Amino acid sequence: MNPRFIFETFLKLLPYLTVTLEYVSLSLLFGTLLGFLAAAAKLGRNRPLRWLANAYTTILRCTPSVVLLFLVFFILPAVMRNYLRINVDAWPALFFVVVTFTLFLGASQSEVMRGAYLAVDRGQFEAGVSVGMTEWQSFRRVVLPQAFFFALPNLTNTVIYLFKEGSLAFTIGVVDIMGKAYLVNATNFGLKALDVYLALALIYWPLSVFFEWLGRLLERRFGYTQVKPEAGKTAESVRGRGRSSIRGVRA
Amino acid sequence: MLAVTNIHKAFGTNEVLRGVDIMVEKGDVVVLLGASGSGKTTLLRCINFLELADQGHIRVGGIDIAFRDARKKDIHAIRRKISFVFQNYNLFNNKTALENVTEGLIIGRGMPKSQAVRIGKACLDKVGLANKFDSYPGQLSGGQQQRVGIARAVAVNPEVILFDEPTSALDPELIGEVLDVMKRLATEGTTMLIVTHEMSFARDVATKVVFMDEGNVVESGRPKEIFVKPKERRTRQFLQRFLGDSDYAI
Repeated sequence: MNPRFIFETFLKLLPYLTVTLEYVSLSLLFGTLLGFLAAAAKLGRNRPLRWLANAYTTILRCTPSVVLLFLVFFILPAVMRNYLRINVDAWPALFFVVVTFTLFLGASQSEVMRGAYLAVDRGQFEAGVSVGMTEWQSFRRVVLPQAFFFALPNLTNTVIYLFKEGSLAFTIGVVDIMGKAYLVNATNFGLKALDVYLALALIYWPLSVFFEWLGRLLERRFGYTQVKPEAGKTAESVRGRGRSSIRGVRA
Repeated sequence: MLAVTNIHKAFGTNEVLRGVDIMVEKGDVVVLLGASGSGKTTLLRCINFLELADQGHIRVGGIDIAFRDARKKDIHAIRRKISFVFQNYNLFNNKTALENVTEGLIIGRGMPKSQAVRIGKACLDKVGLANKFDSYPGQLSGGQQQRVGIARAVAVNPEVILFDEPTSALDPELIGEVLDVMKRLATEGTTMLIVTHEMSFARDVATKVVFMDEGNVVESGRPKEIFVKPKERRTRQFLQRFLGDSDYAI
């Protein structure tokens, strides 16, 4: 192990972090939007849409990410060329990485959001419309902030997962930090593999810890629903919070 | 004021309301009595379109429409004339007591914030929570939460307030504080339609008592008539435990 070499490699890899962060942020953005739509479809009344969203989730969840990446990388260009007459040969490989992880996140995020939505008692939404808000206002002002809070732990998980899992991008030739590490290793004929990948880990570790910290920070910021009852108060004071009004069991 | 006629509602094959008529005049305090499952809560929820009635007609504050014909815009207009107090309070857990009360004014009605805050504070003061403006629901006792719920319903100045078993989730010690607030509203002439099992409250405060059973109104009248001389056998049966004083003689 050569600390000096590790440090030099670390500096060499660092600029490629922008590539990593690029596909992480783009996939997160589009994946969350897709997940939102899929969650809405699953919770909605339209049966074909619900079926479609569920099928999409099942298929995506059952496909290994590297398999999906290859499928997207090799099949998507053919589909686009033959059916849409768009030639994507010159498009950057990064595009296919973003498509892959958008599809992946869409599936997992839709489940995260569905769970978070269901965790907010529907009664609060009803109370919102009862005081004269529209359904959208009641959703946005009352349900959404609380659902976001319930989704946060999973969301943090997703970001860290994506950050690490994205390293698969090098398999289709994207030079992110992983891809660069692979190249540096090859230039040294694999003789300094330990040092190279240690340098790489030194980028992954602190950043993952940073994302964890960010998640906890947001949880504190949005943690108003978790205010503990004051000392001396009984559980009575938190009762309104549970899913106490399950539909159909009312008098 | 509020008139509902011939309302029907079924959940699957379970017919919960079988043609109920309810009339609430301005200043009335109408109490709905009946066993669990008699359709009282469903009736209130249908009036506020939290459930969609299968059949029937509603007239409130100048709006006159069949339930099935009501579009989103009509439903929104009707809900702005009626407010609702829930059994489980259903406070917005992400907002303080004051925000719970002002939310409907600022967001729902587009009222300027300063005015909404003034009204919100006055309403919370009225229910005895002037020192709890900034508390979150999780920091309040059940009785306090329900009083915030009442303040929230009062603040929007509705034609009528619907109460769905407002004290049923409270322990006996906290019931009194909520009933006191409701009594005060009644004396001020607030129009209310209340589902409750608090018989003494019904007897002392109601201007009209409606007894429901199996989705029908069995009997209605002034509390004196219902509690002292119920005409129907089913009503007598239901009230027996409350009226008969020998049941729990020890």
